[in-house]
Amino acid sequence: MTEKTLSIEGMTCASCSQTVEKATAKLSGVQEANVNLATEKLNIRFDENEITLDEIKNAVDDAGYKAVSEMEKKTFTVSGMTCASCVQSVEKATSKLDGVKESTVNMATEKMVIQYDPSVLSTADIKKAVSDAGYEAHEDVDAVDAVDEDREKKEQHIKHMWKRFWVSAVFTVPLLLVSMGHMFGMPLPQAIDPMMNPIGFALIQLVLTIPVMVMGKPFFTVGFKTLIKRHPNMDSLVALGTSAAFVYSLIASIFIVLGNESYAQDLYYESAAVILTLITLGKYFEALSKGKTSEAIKKLMGLAPKTATVFRDGKEVEISIEEVEVGEIIIVKPGEKMPVDGIVVEGTTSVDESMLTGESIPVEKKTGSSIIGASINKNGTIRYEATKVGKDTALSQIIKLVEDAQGSKAPIAKMADIISGYFVPIVIGLAILTGLAWYFGGETGLFAFTIAISILVIACPCALGLATPTAIMVGTGKGAENGVLIKSGGALETTHKIDTIVFDKTGTITEGKPVVTDIVTVEGFSDEELLILAASAEKGSEHPLGEAIVRAAEEKGLPLLKTSFFDAITGQGLEVTVDGKDLLLGNLKLMGENGVDPGDLEDTANRLASEGKTPMYIAVEEEIAGIIAVADTVKETSFKAIEKLHQMGLEVAMITGDNKRTAEAIAGQVGIDRILSEVLPEDKANEVKKLQDEGRKVAMVGDGINDAPALAQADIGIAIGSGTDVAMESADIVLMRSDLMDVPTAVELSKATIRNIKQNLFWAFAYNILGIPVAMGILYLFGGPLLNPMIAGAAMSFSSVSVLLNALRLKGFKPSST
Amino acid sequence: MEKTLLKVSGMTCGNCVKKVETTLNELDGVEKAKVDLENASAKVKYDEAKQSPESLSKAVTEAGYESEPIK
Repeated sequence: MTEKTLSIEGMTCASCSQTVEKATAKLSGVQEANVNLATEKLNIRFDENEITLDEIKNAVDDAGYKAVSEMEKKTFTVSGMTCASCVQSVEKATSKLDGVKESTVNMATEKMVIQYDPSVLSTADIKKAVSDAGYEAHEDVDAVDAVDEDREKKEQHIKHMWKRFWVSAVFTVPLLLVSMGHMFGMPLPQAIDPMMNPIGFALIQLVLTIPVMVMGKPFFTVGFKTLIKRHPNMDSLVALGTSAAFVYSLIASIFIVLGNESYAQDLYYESAAVILTLITLGKYFEALSKGKTSEAIKKLMGLAPKTATVFRDGKEVEISIEEVEVGEIIIVKPGEKMPVDGIVVEGTTSVDESMLTGESIPVEKKTGSSIIGASINKNGTIRYEATKVGKDTALSQIIKLVEDAQGSKAPIAKMADIISGYFVPIVIGLAILTGLAWYFGGETGLFAFTIAISILVIACPCALGLATPTAIMVGTGKGAENGVLIKSGGALETTHKIDTIVFDKTGTITEGKPVVTDIVTVEGFSDEELLILAASAEKGSEHPLGEAIVRAAEEKGLPLLKTSFFDAITGQGLEVTVDGKDLLLGNLKLMGENGVDPGDLEDTANRLASEGKTPMYIAVEEEIAGIIAVADTVKETSFKAIEKLHQMGLEVAMITGDNKRTAEAIAGQVGIDRILSEVLPEDKANEVKKLQDEGRKVAMVGDGINDAPALAQADIGIAIGSGTDVAMESADIVLMRSDLMDVPTAVELSKATIRNIKQNLFWAFAYNILGIPVAMGILYLFGGPLLNPMIAGAAMSFSSVSVLLNALRLKGFKPSST
Repeated sequence: MEKTLLKVSGMTCGNCVKKVETTLNELDGVEKAKVDLENASAKVKYDEAKQSPESLSKAVTEAGYESEPIK
């Protein structure tokens, strides 16, 4: 199975996306086809053995649209070419690569311009192919950036729509004056007065209408093509309505010219022109706001710097960011941005990672620290080794994730698509039937005809197709801005239905890094002495409790002593010889087995344990010396976050492998409703399932280290703290920071987005539902007004515009926690 | 019962540890012997009437490793 994304050109509404989806999904070998109207992309999963990408593209073309692979164009400088046959071999070597569309090499300029599919091929692959052929290729610094190209294309589209609108308007306004003016007593020149000179009246209107029809050509080509393919879309409705009006008027004009002047009342040019102009205006607004909805991604993409300073052949050179290779040493001065991901090899500095993690406090970096590309170097010059470049960097991964999410479909969107798929044919049928009904009911043909046109125009479900994808694009983009990465539209939709949130304890509610909280000694030992002994014993320890003790000693600047014997006794503790003294460090059982009486300290230990701490007994030369207690502390914001979730009416549970007492102590501190303690890591998913079996919708929040299966089992898995790759994989939502406040933010965002989608659906349907009966003439039956086709055209445009404006309102979303 | 720490060098892996541990534990009068590969040492609990740190070292040496009492 392979997955590919194709750009689809020519789609204008939800039924177009339906058509493309249906046309591709029914092909044998295609497993899944998903079209996003807002991004104009088709995401397709298919079996390469059964069907080729070209066959899929052909199917899309047959359905009346155009499919193009997301091609990238890059320019390389190729060195080592000496003759025309070199050009040939470089061209051959590159164009035979899978995913290359076209490769042209110019001998004189030593440039190769290559158009390729970046999802199949990387620039490194291209360079390798060239070097295998015996030449050297370097990417040009001013290579055309795919992002910029995309932006350029969108801007061009907006400009084009604007031009189409104003050219249409320039002809429509005088047309409107000519055709309607005389009804309001506006004098017309004699040459075109309907009474004096009906031929002139008809011809001037025809002349004014033709340019508008030309400007509206895309509506007709797509509209009729899809109608013939029996997948009519909103363009079909517009095309049918306006061309019917135009053709009718044209026939009337011919009669006028032939001498039957009474047909001057039957001219309908202005309706066709006004409808086309208004719908074009609607499309212009649509293009304008579609560009705005994807701003979040552009913002992310703009984060990475264009160039990097690397150390090559003993000197510093500035190269384009695409040329940075893994293993290269990069030099970054204060104020500059980190070009790629890597590890510091020299220097110290603090780095602002807020654009990626949302964390506002700069992070200290020293040798060995990891660097995220696009973060800002604040105050020191550092050198670091690139570990991840190009599409592997954290930033690229995030962009990919957000893009995928924006392109994915929420279940609610699928429903809207299905509805609109039926909508158009039903409307066409309805228009014909209603027209016929009026005609046979005794009305004139013209009257019946007007009604049919009004129905066709008002019924366009185009706003319906925009309702969900635009809200999801803005919603997921807004999430990314706040450090909440929502991986799919489905996840965004499901989150608002959650009624129970399960938190993993360690690393989620707590810091996940235990610290020494209490030191209790018997007479003859000071706190420091005891800590030195314990830390020396734990020196090599990989146990988190041991690490906490060593860290405590290091923080106090205490020296560690030499150990000459070390034995770890599973389930009990350590037996160590430190500085020639026999030391026992562990639980009560260890003391008991070695005949050490803890005396009064046993009560102290019990008290500490009831506070959620882990007490460790320490005996020196088989005499009790004291207790060191270690505990995992609760994160600062945990309490507030859980309180917030309670306010939202959610039940909050905590899951942990700890014993009941420790779990209860932590749960008490943060206000947990339900405690699931002593759960083995492998049973966490089961516990989540049990909650689901109670009929709950469960979200699971964890760091993904040992709860990946539970994250996957939950209705919504939330991975916290930029996390591990596993967590990113199995989670539906990834929180960049390890701040629990982002959990309520995610829920709020989901609720806000779903609310927005519902409003959008209302706006999309309201005009149609209200408009159709009026257009059918139901009000007229009871003495009310009819719906003029021009008004229908205006209402339709407003429908799209109100949906888009409403979706853009989501951009104002602010998490209530800040 | 007496406790002593022996220096044991020449051990390279878990097998050596096992061999030294078994050697010591099988001696008459040894209650328990534990070997630490990293610190190259062995802790032995023994009956002073039957063994001495020197005799324990000797047994280890005979098993093929270098050994001497530490304290």
